[in-house]
Amino acid sequence: MRIGGALGLVAAATLIGHFAYRHLDLADVAMIYLLAIAVAAARMGRRIALMTALLCVGSLDFFFIPPRFTFAVNDVRHIGTFGVMLGVGWLVATLTERIRSQAQAAQAREQHAQALNRLASVLAEDGNVQHVKARVESYLERELHCAVRLLLADGEGHLESHADLAEAERAVAQWTFDHGRPSGPGTPSLPGTSWIFEPMGRWGVLGLHHPDMGPNRQSLLPAFAAQIGLTLERIHLEAERTQAHLRAEEEQLRNTLLSCVSHDLRTPLSGITGAATALLEAEGLDRAEERLLLGSIHQEAGRLQRLVNNLLDLTRVESGRLQVQKEWVLLEEVVGSALARLDDVLGARPLELRLADGWVQLDPVLFEQVLVNLVENALKYSAEGSPIRLEGRLEEGQVVLELSDLGPGFPKGEEARVFEKLYRGANSKGTPGAGLGLAICKGIVEAHGGCIEARNLNPGGQIRITLPLEGEPPQEDA
Amino acid sequence: MSAAEPLVLVVEDELPLRRFLRTALSSHGYRMEEAPTLEEARRLAPVLLPEIVLLDLGLPDGDGMDLLRELKAGSPVPIIVLSARGREEDKVRALDLGADDYLSKPFGTAELLARLRVALRHAAALSGAKAEPTLDLDGLHIDFANHEVKRGGEVIHLTPNEYALLAALARHAGKVLTHRQLLREVWGGSAAAQPHYLRVCMAGLRRKLEQDPARPRYLLTEQGVGYRFRES
Repeated sequence: MRIGGALGLVAAATLIGHFAYRHLDLADVAMIYLLAIAVAAARMGRRIALMTALLCVGSLDFFFIPPRFTFAVNDVRHIGTFGVMLGVGWLVATLTERIRSQAQAAQAREQHAQALNRLASVLAEDGNVQHVKARVESYLERELHCAVRLLLADGEGHLESHADLAEAERAVAQWTFDHGRPSGPGTPSLPGTSWIFEPMGRWGVLGLHHPDMGPNRQSLLPAFAAQIGLTLERIHLEAERTQAHLRAEEEQLRNTLLSCVSHDLRTPLSGITGAATALLEAEGLDRAEERLLLGSIHQEAGRLQRLVNNLLDLTRVESGRLQVQKEWVLLEEVVGSALARLDDVLGARPLELRLADGWVQLDPVLFEQVLVNLVENALKYSAEGSPIRLEGRLEEGQVVLELSDLGPGFPKGEEARVFEKLYRGANSKGTPGAGLGLAICKGIVEAHGGCIEARNLNPGGQIRITLPLEGEPPQEDA
Repeated sequence: MSAAEPLVLVVEDELPLRRFLRTALSSHGYRMEEAPTLEEARRLAPVLLPEIVLLDLGLPDGDGMDLLRELKAGSPVPIIVLSARGREEDKVRALDLGADDYLSKPFGTAELLARLRVALRHAAALSGAKAEPTLDLDGLHIDFANHEVKRGGEVIHLTPNEYALLAALARHAGKVLTHRQLLREVWGGSAAAQPHYLRVCMAGLRRKLEQDPARPRYLLTEQGVGYRFRES
C-alpha cells in the first residue's frame, strides 16, 4: 500500500518533470523529486522514504540527466545532487518519525492520565471493599473492553476464587499474588494463558480476560493495580480507625455505666444490709420497728430488681440480639396489660386514656415494657396527684401513641438527649434512676422500625411514639 | 398419706429460694420436701407422691421440661414452673406441655400461695370433686349450667364463642391458659393458626363485661403467654 503510494509519487514527479523539462532547468526537476521525497518521508516512514529517495535518484538519472534514458552520468556534479536528495529524504524521515513518536507518546500519556483519572474518580466514591470492587470491575470492563475480575486476598494470603476462573488459572493468579509479578500475555511470565494478572500489593490481583490491548495500554495496568491497591489500603485504614474509635467510645460508655450502676446497685444493697443486720442483731425491737425495717428491705429489693431488669433489657437492646416478633394485636389490650403491671405504682393517680379501637403491629411483650417504662417515667417526674394522659391514634400506615404529663417537661434543647443511655436531665436531681428506661424504649421502638420523640408541652412534657403498620390487619369475622 | 397439710415437692437448686419457700409454705399450712437436682426429684417423686410440684426450669443437671413430661405422664399431679422474667417462650412451652401455671422469679408469698391454692383446687375438681355450678366475682355472676352471665343482676348477651371463652377461663379461675389452649377449647383444633380470633373475641367480651376494657378487672392479659380469669 505504502509502496504503491511511493511508486505513485515517483511516477507523478517524473511526469511533472517530463512536462516541465522543456521550460525548466534540470535543477528544478531535481527539486520536484526532492518534494516527492519529502512528502514520502513525512507520510510514510523511514524505510519507504529511503526507497522513494533511491527511486527518485534513479528516475532523475534515467529520464533527465544527459545522456537521457540511460543510467550513465556525464557530469560528476550530479552525483552530489543524488547525495543531497538521499540525505534530505533521510533527514526529513528521521525528524518526522521522531515528532510522530513524540506525539504518539504524548497522546498515550494523555490517555493514561485520563484513564487513571477516571479510575481515581471511580475509586473516590464512598463504599466498602465490595462496593469498590464492583465499581472498579464494571469501570475497567468498559475502559478495556474485556472481562475484569478483582481477586481479593483474605487475611492469610489466599485469593478468593471466582467461578469464571478454572483451577489452573486460579493457581496462576495465586502465583502472581505470591510473587508480586504480573503474568499472562504481554508479560514475561506465562505469556500463553488467556488471563493477564497484575498484582495489587497485599490486597490481591487484578485479572483481565483476553484483553485486546497494545503494549501501550498494557503499561497502564501496574498503575491501575497500584491505584486500586492504595484505595483498598485507605478503606482498610478507615475501617480500622472507625473500629478503634468505636472501641474507645464503647470503653468510655462501659466505664460510665459501671460507675453509675455500681452506685445504683450499692445504694439499695446498703439499705438491705443495714436493715437486715439491724433485725438480726438488735435486741428489743418492737413490732412496728421490725415492720419498718422489713418494709425498707422489700422496697430496696424492688429497686434492685428494676435496675437489674433494666440492665438486662438494655444489654439485649444494645447487643442487636433483640428479636422483634411482630403480631397484630389490639391497641387496647397491649396498653391494658402494661397498665395492669403498673397498678401498684399508678395507685390513685388520674390517668386519661384515649385509645383508638383497632389493630396495631408490634411485639406485645417488648412493647409492654416500653409502655411500662414510659408511664413509670411520667409518674416519677410529675407531681403526686397530677393527671397523665395516654392517647393512641391510628393513622394512614402507622400508629401514634402520645403520653403526656404535667411535670416540668424536658430540658430545653436537650429533648433528643433524654433517650441517650445514662442521660439524666438537669431536673432529675433527687429523682432515683440510672437513665436507662428511656434508652431501652428507644432501642425497642427503633427495633420495630418506629421512632420516639420527646417534646415540651405548655405545661408538661410529651413522649410520642410512631410505629409503622405493614400489610393488612386481620379481618374481624371471628 | 392423708395428712391434712398438702405436700409440696420443690425442685430448685438455689438454697436461698428453697429456704424462703420452706418458711413461706410451712407457715401457711403446707409441708415441703426439696430436691435440688432433677436426679433427686426423679427419685423422690414416686416415693413421696406430692400433692403439688414447684419446678424450676433452669436446673444444673438437665432440662426441667423433661421432668415435667415424665411427671405428667405418670400422674395428674399439678405442677407450677418457676422461670426467669423474659422467658415467655419457655413458659408457654411448659404450659402447653401440661404445667398448670408459672411463677416469674422473683415472686412474693402472696403470689405463690394464690397459685398453689388455684392449682390444688383444680386438681381436686379434676379428681372427681364436683365443679362449682356458678361463679360470683365482684358483681359478675356466671351460671355454667344455663350458660347465663349477669353483671349487677342484668343479663349480658354473649355470642357462643364469647361464652365459650369466658367459661373456659372462669372454670379455671386463677389459672393461666395459653393462646393455644384457648383456641383449641373454643374454636377446635383447626383454628390454632388464627390467634386474632382469640384477640377479637376477648376484646368483645371485655367490652361487655368490664367497666373499662383497657383496664380489665376480670379478664387479665398475660402478655406473651395467654389470659387469666382473676381468682378472687
